[in-house]
Amino acid sequence: MQPHPRLEFPSYPHRPAIRSTSRLSLPDDDLPHSHLEHREAVALYKPAIMTNNDAYLHLARPLGPALGQPSTAPLNVIVQPQALFAIIDHSLRRPADQERVIGTLLGTRSEDGTEVEIRNCYAVPHTENAEQVEVDMDYQKQMLALHLRANPKEVLIGWYATSSELNTFSALIQNFYGQQGDGTFPHPAVHLTVSTEPGKEPESRTYISAPIGVTAERAADSCSFIPVPHELKYGEGEKSALELISSAKDREDRTQTTFSDLEALENAVKHVLDMLERVSNYVNNVLDEEAEPSSALGQFLLNALSLAPKVDAEDIERDFNAHIQDVLVVSYLANTIRTQIDLSNRLATAALTLGTGDALSGEGGSGGGNNNREGGDNRQKGGRGGKGRQNNNRSQQAQQSQEA
Amino acid sequence: MANALKDSPIKAVQVEALVVMKLVNHASKTFPTVATGSIVGMESAKQPGLLEVTSCFPFPTIDAPATDSHQERDSAANIAAAAPRNKANVAYQNEMIKFLREVNVDANNVGWYTSTSMGNFINLNTVENQFFYQKEPNERAVALVHDLSRSSQGALNLRAYRLSPAFMTAYKESKFTTESLQKSGLRYQDILIELPVAIHNSHLLTSLLHQLPSDAPSEELTFPANLAALQQDPNTPEPPFFPNYDSLDLSIDPFLEKTCDLLLESIENHHTELNNHSYYQRSLAREQAKITAWQQKRKAENAARTASKQPLLPEDEWQRLFKLPQEPSRLETLLNSRQVEQYARQVDGFTAGVSSKMFAVKSNLLPGE
Repeated sequence: MQPHPRLEFPSYPHRPAIRSTSRLSLPDDDLPHSHLEHREAVALYKPAIMTNNDAYLHLARPLGPALGQPSTAPLNVIVQPQALFAIIDHSLRRPADQERVIGTLLGTRSEDGTEVEIRNCYAVPHTENAEQVEVDMDYQKQMLALHLRANPKEVLIGWYATSSELNTFSALIQNFYGQQGDGTFPHPAVHLTVSTEPGKEPESRTYISAPIGVTAERAADSCSFIPVPHELKYGEGEKSALELISSAKDREDRTQTTFSDLEALENAVKHVLDMLERVSNYVNNVLDEEAEPSSALGQFLLNALSLAPKVDAEDIERDFNAHIQDVLVVSYLANTIRTQIDLSNRLATAALTLGTGDALSGEGGSGGGNNNREGGDNRQKGGRGGKGRQNNNRSQQAQQSQEA
Repeated sequence: MANALKDSPIKAVQVEALVVMKLVNHASKTFPTVATGSIVGMESAKQPGLLEVTSCFPFPTIDAPATDSHQERDSAANIAAAAPRNKANVAYQNEMIKFLREVNVDANNVGWYTSTSMGNFINLNTVENQFFYQKEPNERAVALVHDLSRSSQGALNLRAYRLSPAFMTAYKESKFTTESLQKSGLRYQDILIELPVAIHNSHLLTSLLHQLPSDAPSEELTFPANLAALQQDPNTPEPPFFPNYDSLDLSIDPFLEKTCDLLLESIENHHTELNNHSYYQRSLAREQAKITAWQQKRKAENAARTASKQPLLPEDEWQRLFKLPQEPSRLETLLNSRQVEQYARQVDGFTAGVSSKMFAVKSNLLPGE
């Protein structure tokens, strides 16, 4: 029996051994299907491996670390926007004579290795020409150490390149990142490509790799790239940041100043109003028999409408008053405290102009009171200002009773 | 050096989207501990006074020797907050910048960033950190402050601050006595200068953003057959990033509660400082009374000696005999006052937003009135 007949990826020692699976006319759409097949293959042939190690039919890809090769189990890749942004930034800073730049991906991996989250990345200098590629390994190692000091929980995931092209050098680098020791072994190294051609939409793809059978001396620079699905996910905390960033996307100068809470509220309300308008337009059109009705949409709208709480007018009135009072009282107190502190500061520096630190609060106090009113505070407690420092205590008590 | 500080060399700050994302990520990952890091960038060539912040990296949170000990959260937070001026971190920063230079990042340190919660960032740590960066001549250092809890309620809260020249001078001499404050006219409002912040995207990023999240399909779609089909329809667009519907959130109480807590804390601090000060004034008065008594006694003695033609005793010996108490520094009070101002402004902003939301809800639920 032949030791390693390869059915899926026959080897062609006479040809450059690099290909992505997509070039093997395996369209992306078929991907889940192919994964499925792969799983079946595992189920079918694993017993064979266990019973007889020497003579087994190697159908798909080498399995598991037991064989001393990286696993190529299907995995889900989640990309955080931060990493994508950094890659784009790096591609803008590439040397003028270089078409693509590469870097290292960092992130987390689930315990079984089937979920990978790319959180962070950093650039690695490399040079590439027709004959050879040079990656600054030393830089990569030291930078990794630096990053791990700041983010001890992140691990090496793989690498990125800023062009969609996969070539011999990609395989070389891929094998470097997936190797034992410094690499991601036994997990597969993830390769993320982001096309950054000007004038075209950026397109990102993720791959893992499997070694393919060629002679031993060519093994280092050949591998087969297998596309894996990936999705972009962002956390709760990043939402507001993304909001601000994407609010600049339709602007000519691509800049946007930070906006206040009120402006954000205004934008959101306007947007909701727009959407309501669209829906009510549609409903009106349906009523006028101008638009095609849809029972599903109708049902959905009805469900949404029924979410409106049925409440007693009195309850609303009461809750509303209670809450608005809370808000206003806290606001009032905060401003009172601010004024008192301001006053206290003024008194502290004003009192000593007249000699020693004793007393004198009467004179300083009235001065402080006046200044305080000038301070543009539109609330009506200016009159209390003259009473001096001990008011701090009073407002403190008032606040405590309010909280109680 | 004084010349460089006379006018703030930076008029505005422009932050790359990448920096915002990194900062926000770092902050939410370490919450509730303070996250600090270094920012790099350069002054805009086209527009002097505009500082472009183009990249950033976090500082290692815990130092190597400290990792093995079990720390309570407070001390860990303190270490994190003091990180920017930590010696090990300065070395880390220099090393990182050296590496970044190799990949064409603008490798000039332009300050540091910190995360905060509810605007609670005006304290000695912040001031010391910023002073550490700003004390160099010809510096272009800013502090970027990201407020995590306020950003989660809607609009991103990212601000840039510098210390005012007046404060820098006072802090350099570490003179915060009443007298020096009167002379310099330094008020707590003048400690920090806030700089306007703008976000900037690259062209490529803009085109990426137009893909995210994917827009609603432009072609006519057929109506879904039923409700389940509608909910699973892959064509249903995700809510867009902008505007953010989080700002329509109606929760009020957590914010008010937290603000009250923080305000009370500030008042307590203020009270302690006032007590310190009045204690100082009392002891000063006591000492001065003693001195006066001593001087009078000496005068009487000298008068007696003149009468009996004896040599006079020196009258300025009291300076050796009595020691006037040291006036406590007013720095803490100043910072505390500035912090209270920050809270008060925050509450004002919040009140404006929330009361309009509440009126909207009320009129929606009670349409008749």
